[in-house]
Amino acid sequence: MSDLSVRNPNFSPLLMADSLLRAAGGMSVSLLVAPATGDSTDPGQLGVDPPNFQQLALSPAIFRQVRAAMSEGQLPKYELLVSASAIQQQVGALQLTSADALFDSSAGVLVNGAPYLIESRSVSEALGEVYLYRLLLRESHALKQTAD
Amino acid sequence: MENAKDTFYITLRNRLAALNPQRVIMLRGVQRPGILLEEAEAPAAQPPGDVFVLRWTSLSTDTQLPATLAQLTCEVHYTTGGTQTNSGLDRGRAMAQMDAELLSILQPASAQKMDYAQGPAAQMETLVFWSAPEFSPLITSRERLTRVAKVNVFAFQEPGEL
Repeated sequence: MSDLSVRNPNFSPLLMADSLLRAAGGMSVSLLVAPATGDSTDPGQLGVDPPNFQQLALSPAIFRQVRAAMSEGQLPKYELLVSASAIQQQVGALQLTSADALFDSSAGVLVNGAPYLIESRSVSEALGEVYLYRLLLRESHALKQTAD
Repeated sequence: MENAKDTFYITLRNRLAALNPQRVIMLRGVQRPGILLEEAEAPAAQPPGDVFVLRWTSLSTDTQLPATLAQLTCEVHYTTGGTQTNSGLDRGRAMAQMDAELLSILQPASAQKMDYAQGPAAQMETLVFWSAPEFSPLITSRERLTRVAKVNVFAFQEPGEL
């Protein structure tokens, strides 16, 4: 039998997630996404031109290390908990169809200026409403600074 | 050697666009022919389906010639799960089509070397040429079929070229 009981969705899980993230020291991180006007030139596809990724602020968020790297050469992994309200705001600002589209177009995350790659993502939801995104991050290798 | 790599990619990309304009990918906000240089794009957890991904691997040089001859190996990775219309049951046919497209865009097996780091691109003195592809056995991973084709690309180093 189908469950036909009425449950009106509300924003309380979203507000609670925001409050908890802020209370636990919520910070602001930046999601790197492709610019609205992409580079369709040959140098743009060959790694010659800088990609000029946009930095979208996501706040509140919590960043923590998942576990220490115990073997040589293995980079530590990190977890980023991001409020769904921050994601919704950026999805709306960029006029995207979904949060998946936002993450699919992203090239990583900047946390305190350091780049991280998104390994996987999952969501927490209540009554079908997403209130929290959990991103598993891997530390990106340090990138060479160019002298311009 | 970078010019040889760039020329090889751009040549294959332009030939693919002419051969099958429907094979496209949306990448960094731009719709492009369905072929990309792995090292020039953001890392991804899983390679995109139904496009050709070029990965440069080994490099050897012959310095006994009047000009240094570089041999670079390019792996062309491609994967497909078939089409939604056929619920993926046409993945074998989709893979066969990609095999044929790759064979086709690799012919003729040479191109004029270009310097794409300049704007506009500058023609260089020598050619880039390459071997016939060596196709790996098909790898089946549940609903996805994957193949890797290895192509040896040759180019002479011109004076002052990096």
